[in-house]
Formats: sequence, C-alpha cells, structure tokens
Amino acid sequence: MSKATNDPKNPAPSPARKDVVRAEKLQAGYSGKAVCGVVSFSLHSSQSLALVGPNGAGKSTVVKTLVGQLEAVSGTTLINGAEVDDRTLDFRREVAVVFDDDAFFPSLTVEEHLAIVAAGHGVGDVEEVIASELEFFGLTEQAKSRPYNLSSGQRRRMLLAAAFVRPRSLLVLDEPEQRLDTAMRHRLASRLRAEVDAGLALMVVTHDPDFLSTVATKAIFISDTIHAMTPSQAAKAIASENPHAD
Amino acid sequence: MSTQAKERFSAKEIRNYTFRAGLSRTEGGLMELISEVYTSLLGGLTLLTMAGALIVALRHSLGVGDESALVASAVAPGFHSVTLLQAGATVLLTLAAALLSVEMTMGPIAMTLPQTAWWLGLPVRRRGFIQPGFLTSLLWPTIAAVIVVLPLSLGMAKSPTPGWIALATLCGAALAWLLYGLAAWCQVSARGAWLKKITGAITLLAPLTLVSTALYNNVAGKQAITAEQTAWMKYLPTSWPFLVADGELWPLLIVALALGLLVLVYVNLERISTAALKESAAAGAYAASSLLSMDPTELSRSLSTGPSTGKSKIRLKLIFTGGTAHARSIKTLLSTHATMALRSPATLLRVLVLAAIPASLASIEFLGNAVLIAVALYLCANFASTALGATARFSAGNPAVDTLMPLPAKTVRLVHYAIPAVAMTLWAPISAGLLLALGVGSPQLLLLALLAGPGLGAATLRAAFKAAPDWNMPPVAAPMGPIPTGAIKSFLIGPDLTLIVLLPVLICLISGGVPLVAFPAQMTLTWLAFLWGTHLRKPKSAKDGGLFGVPVAGPTK
Repeated sequence: MSKATNDPKNPAPSPARKDVVRAEKLQAGYSGKAVCGVVSFSLHSSQSLALVGPNGAGKSTVVKTLVGQLEAVSGTTLINGAEVDDRTLDFRREVAVVFDDDAFFPSLTVEEHLAIVAAGHGVGDVEEVIASELEFFGLTEQAKSRPYNLSSGQRRRMLLAAAFVRPRSLLVLDEPEQRLDTAMRHRLASRLRAEVDAGLALMVVTHDPDFLSTVATKAIFISDTIHAMTPSQAAKAIASENPHAD
Repeated sequence: MSTQAKERFSAKEIRNYTFRAGLSRTEGGLMELISEVYTSLLGGLTLLTMAGALIVALRHSLGVGDESALVASAVAPGFHSVTLLQAGATVLLTLAAALLSVEMTMGPIAMTLPQTAWWLGLPVRRRGFIQPGFLTSLLWPTIAAVIVVLPLSLGMAKSPTPGWIALATLCGAALAWLLYGLAAWCQVSARGAWLKKITGAITLLAPLTLVSTALYNNVAGKQAITAEQTAWMKYLPTSWPFLVADGELWPLLIVALALGLLVLVYVNLERISTAALKESAAAGAYAASSLLSMDPTELSRSLSTGPSTGKSKIRLKLIFTGGTAHARSIKTLLSTHATMALRSPATLLRVLVLAAIPASLASIEFLGNAVLIAVALYLCANFASTALGATARFSAGNPAVDTLMPLPAKTVRLVHYAIPAVAMTLWAPISAGLLLALGVGSPQLLLLALLAGPGLGAATLRAAFKAAPDWNMPPVAAPMGPIPTGAIKSFLIGPDLTLIVLLPVLICLISGGVPLVAFPAQMTLTWLAFLWGTHLRKPKSAKDGGLFGVPVAGPTK
C-alpha cells in the first residue's frame, strides 16, 4: 500500500482530458477540526473513484466537503475547473449527489418526486424517463405509492432513481449498496460501470468489495492517513476490514 | 461543462406543482374531519379564554369599567414590588432577544427537510423557492409584535389615543422586522455566532433583573427601587414603542431602518448556502416535534442549542439483591427513572421556576388579578407536568425499553407514574404556597392544590404516551396548509387532563373561596385522572382479531 496522492495504476491523463474533480490538500472535518488525513486526487470523465475505509473514518465527511455541503478545514476542491459552490446553476446541472437523506413529501407519490427532479432539470420526455427508471429500479408497481408506505430498501431505490432521471456529468453516491438486495446491487453496479465507460465521472463511498470491483477505476483508502490504491487492493482492504460483507 | 439553454420549469412552477399535488390528496374521512373541527374549536376556545383573561387584566390596569370580583387584585396590599414600566421594558427586551435567538436558530429563510432534499439540487433560481416563505414568514414576527406591543402600549401610555397606539404598534412591528432582517442577514452571510451568544445571555439575565428587583423591594421595603430609578428603561430600543405611545415620533425611524435591512436581505436571497438551509430545516423539524410534545425543555433546546450532549456524573444504585424478582425489577426501573430525571438538572430547575411564575406575575403592578393568575397557573402546571415526562416519552418512542424488565405492562406504567406524581404533588403546593405568601388564596386552596398534584402526574403520562399524528394518512386541509391527521388532537392530549384536574383549584382561586365540596370533587378528579393517565390502550389489531380486521381462521381439520 503506497502513501501517494495519485493512483500509480492510473497514470496522469493527457492534457486534453479535463479534471471533473480536483481536490488539493483537502482536509475534511467539523467546526475546524479534521476527522481524517489530507486528501489530494483528480478525477476525469470515464473514471470512477471509490472511497473506502472503516466506519467513522470520515469518508462521508470527505464526500460532503467535496460537494460543498461542508466547509473544508483546509485545502480546495475544484469541480469542472471552478471552486465548489452549489449555489451556482452550473454546479447543480452537472453534479448529482445521493446521500441517505430519508426526507420525502408525505403527500407526493414516488413518480411525482421523480417528476420534480426531471422537470427541474429540463428533461425532455419526463414521463418516459421516469417510467424507464422506475422499471430499472423495480418500482413500477410502487409508482403511485407514497414514500412512507414503501420499504426502507424501496425508498433507497427511489433516491437512487432520482439521480438517474436527470442529466449529470459527475455522480456522487454515499454507500449506494446499503439496504439494496444483492440482485439490485449487481444491476446498479453494472449500470454505473457502463455509464462510467460512456463518460460519466463517479465518486462512490462503498463497503462492498464486489460493488467496488465492478464499478471503480481507482480508489482511496481513508483513515488517519490517506492511501491511493487500485480497485483490487481496495476490495481486499474492505474484505479484511469487513469479513461479513456480502 | 455542458449547459442547457433554458430551464424548462422555474422554481415557482416546481413549488406550485408540489403543493398542488399534495393538496389534491388533502382529504380524510368524515370522522377525521369532525375530530379536527372539534379539537380546533377546543383549541380556539382555550385561546379565546386566555385572550379574555388578558383583556380583563388590561381593563383593570386601565381602570376601565367597574371593579368586580373578577378584575380586583387578589394580591394583598404591599406586595406590588415591580413597576409596570420595568416589567414591560424587561419583557420586551427578553422577548426581542428570544425572538432573534429563535430566528437565528430556525432561520427566517427556511425550508422543510423534504424541500431541501428535493428542491435544492435543481438547477433553478432558488429565489423562487425561498422568497414566498421569506415574505410570508414576516407575518409571524409582525403578529407577535402586535400581540405584545398593543396591550403593553395600551397599558403603559399616559393618555392613549388610537392614533398613537397604532403608531406604537407600527414601531413594535418594525422592531420585529429589524430583528427578522438581522437574523436573515446572518443566515445569508453565514455570520453572527457572537450575536446569538449575546441574545442568549440577555434572554437569561433580563428576567433575573426583574426577580432580583422584586426580591430587593420586598426585603428593603415597598418601592425601594423607585419608578424614577427605572425610568431610563423607556429608552432601550426595545421600549421605543412606549415612547411612541406617549407621543414621541423619532423612534419611528426604526421603520425605515427595518425596511432598508429587509430590502438588503431580499436582493441577496440567492447567496444563502445549501448548508444554511439544511441546518434551519433540521432545526425547524426538531422544533416542530418538540412543540407537538409541548415539552418546554425539548422546545427550548430545539430553539437554542440543539439536543443536549452534556455528560452527567449522577450514578444511582441500579442492581438490587434483596426481595423478590418482581420487587427488584421495580426498584431497578424506579432507580433508572430517577437517574434519568436527576441527570437533567436543568429540567428540574425549569419545573421549579415554573412553580414561581404565577406568583412572579402576581407581584407585578396591576397584574395581580385572579383570572390572570389562574391562567398562568394552568399554563405553568401544564408545562411542568410535560417537562417531567421526558423518561415516559422516551419509552413511548422506544417501547422495547419497557419490556426489558420481567414486569407486566401495567406495573411498568405505574412505575412511570411515580416520579411525575411525586414531583407534581410537591410542585402544586409550592406554587400555591408562593401565591399564598402574596396573599392570594388561602391555606385551604393550598391543600386543594396538594390533592391535585397526583392528578397532574397522571397528565404527564397522558401527554407522554399520546398517539402521534398519523403521517401515513391523507393530510387534512387547514388554513395554513395540509396537516397530518390527528395533529391538533395530538397537541391537546395532556393539556386537557391538566385542565380537568386543576378545575377545582382554578375555580376556587378565581372565586376567592374554597367550599367544602371542592375537596371531594378534587379527590374524585385526581382519582379519575390517575385511572385515565395510567390506562394502557390495547392495539387496534388485538380488538379486530387479526391483521387488517380479518378474523383469525380457526384450526383446520
């Protein structure tokens, strides 16, 4: 395991490939107090970065800082060359983020929630896109249900579907495998990999070695210190941290 | 970075879509509607009664109308220890600091949690989402200012005329707008932590000056601190409405200042960060749930610093060896509840302070009439009994906790009753005793309050174990928007039993005498309250005999 800021298995890209994300000496934390080591990396389109590490290591804190939901203790993050500022329309057009926010409009149905996202992003054929994503996430029969009548896993699927009914050049997922059944995990991983191959930049926090192996093109192990590693090294690291992962 | 030429939906359209879709399902059964109407009426009547009491007190303070038994001061002569000016100025200063503190916590620019989750990621101008709420939210500080400033100006103006009182109210409203604008600017610019500390200190210290004055005056003799010595308080910015009520015009400059600040915030609305909006949404959700529980401790936490994270060193014996397993379990449970109560000394202090509030109110010049004291006594009893229900509420939210001991559910409920019952049995005579020290009531009334105490403990349980509003049922239409089925009913469960238990005490307090029949009446109500508060409701499915009301199938042969 090398202590480095760039993945040795992924050499520096040609100048033509623009950084989608560039984190420089970024330290994440709360109220000025760092929770993990200093992170530096870059992520281009058609690349997928997995952030792995034990519970409480600060992975989600790093991700929230990367997308501007938390103030960095130190360092900077650039997304598409601009300093992170989620108040700009460009940022919100390009960056789709899925955290485990279990907050829903109690009176709206699943498809109405998705319609808000699709319509807000100016998607052409809203109904068709929604129907397609509902089918992918196995929620077609629940389209007219309200979120609080769904199971926890179905609500998770709904949150994930919301990220797919809209355009995006960077997708940020925090433990997307949580609460999903094995089949859904495999389908999601395959789809994400296909999207990454087609040009998407993906940042994902995960504890699932299989998910990571399918999706990631590079990885960072987060703890007190930060280690860049290959996906296979990261998968092994997760497996040794969490032998019960399915 | 690719950009889209035009956003298809604006924030306004998304907002309208969300509300229209929600409102289209705003329905409920006839029984739900009747229940909501009934509880709304009950709530309205309670508010009207309280408003009526306030008006009666004001009429008395203004010397309007004949002085009847209702409006006459119930306080013995010689105990009017704080001037109305000092009290009024202090109340306004405290309320202004509290309003600013609350607004800085909950954010004048606010969204709900679902709105932050589903709207903030959209590439549309956020102004369309937050502007309507920002403008309509101005109504609340305005209403608060009118409710506070209008009666105080009426009561304190030397020669009140409708014109000057209207201008004084405008000045009060402008003061509220200024505070609102200040809190909003702090939110937009992500600054102002120091201001929150100052407002917190004022909120705590200002009322203490009032109590200190009352104590000093009583020790040093009547009017040791004279009205002349406290006259400067009229010039505190928060007291400017009083100056306007007395014919000064210059304090109305605050109107221009407030409007200027509001315009500044308005044009900078887009600058607010996602983090600030999410923070205020979370604070709002916490405050709403605290308000629903009517727990003053939780409410004050939610409006100030958030959930308590303090560490306590209180350790009581939890493992008992003597006696039967049943007795040992009861002792352990009791000890656990006592530990939880003692680990929250601020709650116990608050309960004690609540006992002193009716007497403190009575000690203020012109505010010592029996109706006003009775309303204060009821409200304080209600807040005190609810504050003591923290452990029971925890168990209601985590039912598994109550099954840890090998005890019947009824016994566990009785154990829950023990501490609130003892505490309220002490609280009620303390509160009545302090009133008696001012000459309000009689020893018989104190005895009556003692008998009401165990009933108030039962009200604690009724409030703690009440059913939460059903968030899965279709919401019911209300003037302020859709609300969950049973929300108002849920809000009133607990306060209703407090009122029923306290009825004999309140009637005797207002009427000025305690007839013999009041004692058996009080004992009966306390006993009924005990039965009601400690009653265990059976789950509905148990009555139906099976899931979804389908009778359980008999054994097949």
